Amino acid sequence: MNISESLFQALSTQCQPKELDWLKEKSAKDTNSLSLSFVMVPRFIEKQELENEVLSQAASILPDWNWNGWTLDRLARVYLLSLCQERELSREEYIKKINLLFDTAELNESVALYSAIPVFAYPEAWMNRATDAVRSNVGLIFDAIAFGNPYPKQYFSELAWNQLVLKCIFNDKPIHQIEGLAERNNEALVQTLVDFAHERWAANRRVPSQVWRLIVPYLNQKILPDIEKLIHSDLASDRLAAALVLAQSTLPEAKKLAEKYKNELPVVPNDAWGALEKPEPIYQPA
Amino acid sequence: MCKNPHQSNPSHFQGSAEEAMTASTVEETFEQYIKGMKFFDPHVHMTARTTDDYQALADAGVVAIIEPAFWLGQPRTGLSSFKDYFATLVGWERFRSSQFGIKHYCTIGLNSREANNEALAEEVMEILPLFLQKEGVVGVGEIGFDDQTALEEKYYRAQLELAKEMGLPVQVHTPHRDKKKGTERSMAIALEHGLDPHMVIIDHNNEETVKSVLDQGFYAAFTIYPFTKMGNERMVEIVKQYGPSMIMINSAADWGISDPLAIPKTAALMKMKGISDEDIRLVTYQNALDAFAQSGQIKESDFIHGMEIDQSLKFNGNTVLRGGQAPRVNKNSLIIR
Repeated sequence: MNISESLFQALSTQCQPKELDWLKEKSAKDTNSLSLSFVMVPRFIEKQELENEVLSQAASILPDWNWNGWTLDRLARVYLLSLCQERELSREEYIKKINLLFDTAELNESVALYSAIPVFAYPEAWMNRATDAVRSNVGLIFDAIAFGNPYPKQYFSELAWNQLVLKCIFNDKPIHQIEGLAERNNEALVQTLVDFAHERWAANRRVPSQVWRLIVPYLNQKILPDIEKLIHSDLASDRLAAALVLAQSTLPEAKKLAEKYKNELPVVPNDAWGALEKPEPIYQPA
Repeated sequence: MCKNPHQSNPSHFQGSAEEAMTASTVEETFEQYIKGMKFFDPHVHMTARTTDDYQALADAGVVAIIEPAFWLGQPRTGLSSFKDYFATLVGWERFRSSQFGIKHYCTIGLNSREANNEALAEEVMEILPLFLQKEGVVGVGEIGFDDQTALEEKYYRAQLELAKEMGLPVQVHTPHRDKKKGTERSMAIALEHGLDPHMVIIDHNNEETVKSVLDQGFYAAFTIYPFTKMGNERMVEIVKQYGPSMIMINSAADWGISDPLAIPKTAALMKMKGISDEDIRLVTYQNALDAFAQSGQIKESDFIHGMEIDQSLKFNGNTVLRGGQAPRVNKNSLIIR
């Protein structure tokens, strides 16, 4: 099965027969009609959250693809977009067609377009779009490229990747939803994060506790005092982060620090960072 | 200048002395008169407003708004400016509004002033259908006459055809100058093109235009806007005289001296002046909803119980800043954190 067929199969798990008929009918049309159908989707497909049975099919269609938080109309739109590349269009025509959809997109259309980037033909052609989405102040558009999307992991440069992670933290969103977080981690990112944490501390703010997970492979003696600061934090989540960093690090000095504070540090849980994989908004609504 | 102090200015309070007294004491606390009421403003230009206004709208009970496409105070010089503006109405502004729990719809059209640039108008007409098909676009608007030129008429007619073809309501701007004739002409042309008057909302009415608009079966919208349009005391009198049917109120707040809270304030004044809650609901909420829901693009359940109902916005459950409801800033606090 190719990607479009797999997407249709996923849709058929949840769609009503009437909705499937509409999709089938529209799938057979030319690219211009596909663009129009893409726009018309919410008139024919219910805006339901995807059921677990549908969600579980994502990663088998593309590795690292996660449809958490998607609605049925979004999946239907991604399906229609996936059909465009099966039509006989030149590279230039294809890119022009998709770009027109981006340029005139309504909010939910934008979200669907960024979600569909991993199935577009000519992956390198969408780099600017993808990094634009990282720059976006529209939370939903940022989420569409940042979370559950395999494209950044596979194609982003180190610079673009680091911006993605930083912007995620800056926007008060939990980083564990980014695919490839551990694989794409790098020393430059860690150094920037440490600087960022210092800035936040200077302003009497903090960084979400799970951010410290990125420090583990690059922990050094210069960063160690920051971990010691976390041990003294009023927040249990920061103290847990400190315990996890020290337990997972191979730095000999980390072991010494853990030993020094063995009575203060919490027990490291089996699911490691799992308990900290949650939103920790820094700017609390009053 | 005011030679006869006894001749009342139409914008002066027209009620009893007792009512005038009450009005002056409740001005600061009009909110208490409208507790629990929900409002739908079918005409407000939010791109010209600040986030403070969104906050105030949400606090005052405005749950949904329609932003008609208009001009920017000066004419645009190219198609891209139009395209980006339309894209903003269906994109960024929609998102900005959602942060305050307000459902944002829009109408898309070529406004009357810029219809006078024929070359550009032709290009704009070509991209209109693309935007009119979008989710949450509830009509063609605001279109109609300004100077009442031949070009304004040409593009008004072309857009009426477009609305008919796409089954969308039309939001008709009526001119400031020569209003009565302009309004009559707008209605006559709409009927000539075979539009059902129930699909046409004639905007910016006043005491002089309302009767004919209602008699011919059109929706009559009233803009509560200081100085140039309606004052809300006059509005109360109109509702008393004509009843609530087919009448809706809007603020048309924009970059001019205008008041985005025009609807809640007028509702409070109506309440004070003895208009029933049900009639207030009709003219400040339901009639606008009914008129524009004819587009098939409005689902009351998306906003009536708050925006969290809209599943497409319930992302990751964590969307605080730049993702969901924006944090509230205490405006009276000297300390900024």
